[in-house]
Amino acid sequence: MLRLLSPGLWVILLLAVLSSLLVALLPVTRREGAELWTFLPTSVKHYQPVIDDWNRQHPGAPVTIKLLEYSALQRRMLSGFFAGTPTADLLEIERNIASRAFVGPLDRTGFVDLTDRVRADGLDQEIPAAGFTPWSSRGRIFGLPVGFHPVLLCYRADLVEAAGLDVSQIETWDDYFRVLRPLMADRDGDGHPDRYLISGWNTNGGFLDMLMLQADARLFDDQGRPTLDTPRNAAILARLVPWFAGPDRVAADAPDFSAAGNRQRVEGYVVGTLMPDWLAGAWKTDLPALAGRVKLMPLPAWEPGGRRTSAWGGTMIGIARTAPHVEQQWQLIKALYTSPTLAAANYRDAMIVSPLRRLRSLPFYQEPEPYFGGQRVGQLFIAQVGSMPSRPSSPFFPEAHIYVVNVLTALKQHAESIGRYDAATLEPKARELLAAAQASFVHQVARNPFLLPPP
Amino acid sequence: MRRRLLPLLIYGLLAVFATLTLTPFAFLVASTVKTKADFVSTLFLPAGDGLFGVGWDRLTGENYRRIFGELHVPRALLNSCFLASVGSLLATLFSAMGGYALAKFRFPGREGIIRLVLAALIIPGPLLIAPGFQNLWRLGLLDTYAGLMLPGLAPAFGVFLFRQTMLNAVPSELIEAARIDGAGEFRIFFTLVFPLVRPMFGAFLMIMFLGIWNDYLGPQIVLQSPELYPLSTTVAMLKNLHWNDYGLVMAGTLVAIAPVMCLFLLLQREFIAGLTSGAVKG
Repeated sequence: MLRLLSPGLWVILLLAVLSSLLVALLPVTRREGAELWTFLPTSVKHYQPVIDDWNRQHPGAPVTIKLLEYSALQRRMLSGFFAGTPTADLLEIERNIASRAFVGPLDRTGFVDLTDRVRADGLDQEIPAAGFTPWSSRGRIFGLPVGFHPVLLCYRADLVEAAGLDVSQIETWDDYFRVLRPLMADRDGDGHPDRYLISGWNTNGGFLDMLMLQADARLFDDQGRPTLDTPRNAAILARLVPWFAGPDRVAADAPDFSAAGNRQRVEGYVVGTLMPDWLAGAWKTDLPALAGRVKLMPLPAWEPGGRRTSAWGGTMIGIARTAPHVEQQWQLIKALYTSPTLAAANYRDAMIVSPLRRLRSLPFYQEPEPYFGGQRVGQLFIAQVGSMPSRPSSPFFPEAHIYVVNVLTALKQHAESIGRYDAATLEPKARELLAAAQASFVHQVARNPFLLPPP
Repeated sequence: MRRRLLPLLIYGLLAVFATLTLTPFAFLVASTVKTKADFVSTLFLPAGDGLFGVGWDRLTGENYRRIFGELHVPRALLNSCFLASVGSLLATLFSAMGGYALAKFRFPGREGIIRLVLAALIIPGPLLIAPGFQNLWRLGLLDTYAGLMLPGLAPAFGVFLFRQTMLNAVPSELIEAARIDGAGEFRIFFTLVFPLVRPMFGAFLMIMFLGIWNDYLGPQIVLQSPELYPLSTTVAMLKNLHWNDYGLVMAGTLVAIAPVMCLFLLLQREFIAGLTSGAVKG
């Protein structure tokens, strides 16, 4: 029979024998004690020395850190919380994942309620309430935030300065588009502007979320109830339409975290980008070609005197309800999140600014950053912390974003069909679309009996 | 004249399609030896003053050094080889045996089993993830290779495929003659039946090997220790949520696809023969 095997079959057979032997011989370390799951490679790098120290001091309850892919972490965490399958004792997770774990009765959520511990240790005095809202549900806190993530506007300083434009005159979005309009000239004569002034699109939920938060156009109230249909939301969506459509269009879609979008940024196709602190760190890694060519400024406000920042993203660390030594884990996560050494590492590697008041005066936040033209980037972000909008958490955030995107897309189509792009004309239609979206969304949310609005 | 032009036209078209197919591979290979700055500023090799206008001095082997030096990729490569080779061999063997039994043996409940196999074919795989995970947990097989391989050892598709092949390609008279001559069932299977279905065996082996090699969801769910991860999972973890080292990801991707490309070249005869067997009546 062996004579009948082809070379390919022989190769697979040989591969099976050799790899089986090697796999059997190579050891797999089965670790004892608690586990910390994270999706951030920088966390593994930064936390490992602290955890090694911790393990030396607590030999009976060692902790291991594991890096998991983002969606794998979400799947395993939720199956652990909902079905009782094994999960980590400590979980460092991103905002969109976290809120999905806060469903269900408060005393049965997957995470330990940290509210009393936060208050007892005075962390609520160190971190303003807005820092906890993304990690809270129904007034209870389930995680410690790694940062605040204030948003600034990153712009191509090289292009702006070469054109002799002065950004110091800019206070509002209207100012921004007026002052930088010369950059949109069609120099190559193809009938389209060579550059667009802002990177974003009406289908980008994160982009819209930042702009709406900045304008206090909220999708949920503090109790987590949907509030899509408000005059403020309608006004902001109506004002956003001419950004994406019509003769005065200023925005172009340069997708974040993609090679194509990064190339558009390097080529100067988009001039401005909304930038939270962690995105500044990502650019330093992903876009070395822009080093020294970009600068940061506060977001232009919607109205004169208005808010000059917003918020995007975020990461928390929490303790799973199944963890056997909650008090010990609490001490560990406090050690991780309040360490000045880790705050420095987090800033230098990822540009994330600590949410703790006492750490914000550390000297490294004052250092000039060559990537951003020598600006004191840490200080620029910290200056906006006090103005940051509150972001209530809801497991239905992704769905709310879809509704908003659908409303804005329909509004844009309506504007194109009537050939009018001014906010005053579009606002009634925006209100009508939001009312329909709100009715449908409330119906969807009401399917979860544990998250019904309080009576 | 027409006879001369036709091959030219065909080869010209084939050359165009080959170029279209190979361009992404060229991009992939070029990306693995570029720096981060060159990745976003040039499409293929970085421009420079060197031969063919390429900046040869700007090419870097750093991505491969990190892949094989700092990361878990060599161990993941071994794990993938183990999972794909052992898994595909066992799955193909058991599918062939199952298909042979259903095609050539008469026993009570046979029709019921065939219907069960057919029913299993129409159940979408993702539907079985949650109950499968629960079962593996209860059996204590989470984070083990057994937990990953056992559920796929006799795939319904394979059993049904081999049943149909056995019905068409293996004459019952031949099996009867072997039994009369005193051959045992295993001897009949390996010395008589196997040579007749060898093309299908090769084709299905290749399909299974590729499927297991590329399986991303299964290892993500079942395995928890980084030392056990195969390449699909390890390469996916090179990609971060918000920032990416594209050169590293591309190098990891190339390392992940190169072995299966070589294997396909080795097994292509069986693969094509298996796929086309029965296509021509004769």
